[in-house]
Amino acid sequence: MCAWLAPRAYRTAEVVVIVSTGLLLSTPAKAHTGTGLPGGFVSGFIHPFSGVDHLLAMVSVGLWGAFLGRPLLYVLPMVFPAMMVVGAIMGMFVVPVPPVEIGIAVSVLVLGLCIALPVRAPVWAACLVVAMFAVFHGYAHGKELPSAADPISYSAGFVLATGLLHVSGICLGFLNDRPGGMLATRSIGGVIAGVGAWFVFQGMHR
Amino acid sequence: MRGGVLPPAMLFVALGLVLAFAPRRAWVPSFLALFATLGACTLLPVPQVWLEGVFLGCWITVIVTAANVHLVRGLPPWAALALSVNTGVWASAVVSVSGSRLDLLTALPCVFILLPASWAVARRAPIAVKVVSSWVIAVAVLAVTLQLLPVTPGYLPDHLE
Repeated sequence: MCAWLAPRAYRTAEVVVIVSTGLLLSTPAKAHTGTGLPGGFVSGFIHPFSGVDHLLAMVSVGLWGAFLGRPLLYVLPMVFPAMMVVGAIMGMFVVPVPPVEIGIAVSVLVLGLCIALPVRAPVWAACLVVAMFAVFHGYAHGKELPSAADPISYSAGFVLATGLLHVSGICLGFLNDRPGGMLATRSIGGVIAGVGAWFVFQGMHR
Repeated sequence: MRGGVLPPAMLFVALGLVLAFAPRRAWVPSFLALFATLGACTLLPVPQVWLEGVFLGCWITVIVTAANVHLVRGLPPWAALALSVNTGVWASAVVSVSGSRLDLLTALPCVFILLPASWAVARRAPIAVKVVSSWVIAVAVLAVTLQLLPVTPGYLPDHLE
């Protein structure tokens, strides 16, 4: 087996496989659980990827920006994190806002529809829509943020992940320049809107 | 917990991004000023009672430094020098009150974000750098706000501390 590998390389490959298998199968040590305080850069970075509602909304912002072109291509990825911070601050000080979960669900629905239709909104309107939804997303996390074990690292990871999700949405938008790409991205928008509608339905019946 | 590598790293990232908008001839003097300030200020003791003020100053410096990417005519050399000295002062202060010199060494390479940033500026894509700087500002604003909260459970010592 693997005769094409030199003996030393084979041994190295063996060690790599064993170590990586061990790392994949291992579970975190449970010596200090129960504090309920997630935290740290990695925890914050992973968080937007673990919630489908946030993930879809952030990718949608980038994708819609790609549809709308300059200047919204780069203004929306600036507006969203900035307004998310405003929402997070409102969350930290527990400022009363309309039901946040419904707001997040509606954001997925509306942004998905904006891509699917596609809505050619003027700069101010697009910024207003994105800013409003960003406040809901920020609020949800701002409320939890002070409980994180290392809130600043957590927020740094979170903001970076948010930005990267916008960038991935913009990259997805480059499909528009290819034959049939517009149909593909609009279909993605339709799927996102469908998922958003499901979130709204769930939110209303909770 | 709020010390460690992150505050100096954010300072260096903000400086690296803004130096991309300065003329290239300003880079070497700015780096020399940064290293000299870091070297000098890490030797100075910072009283522990200044902890809150030092962190506030650090995050405000991050915001002000990162905001300079929006200067219409780019960053003049004297401003690059001043921002480097200011970054050096706050980075060494924040490490003195909460952290170790190793944190400073670990964070220092972050300043070399200047290289991809200047590449983007040279390729007429300065907006990419401005977007990243807006994210840096967002984190710093959150950090300042967290500091203004009376107490956050994350800062409370748990039963092992």
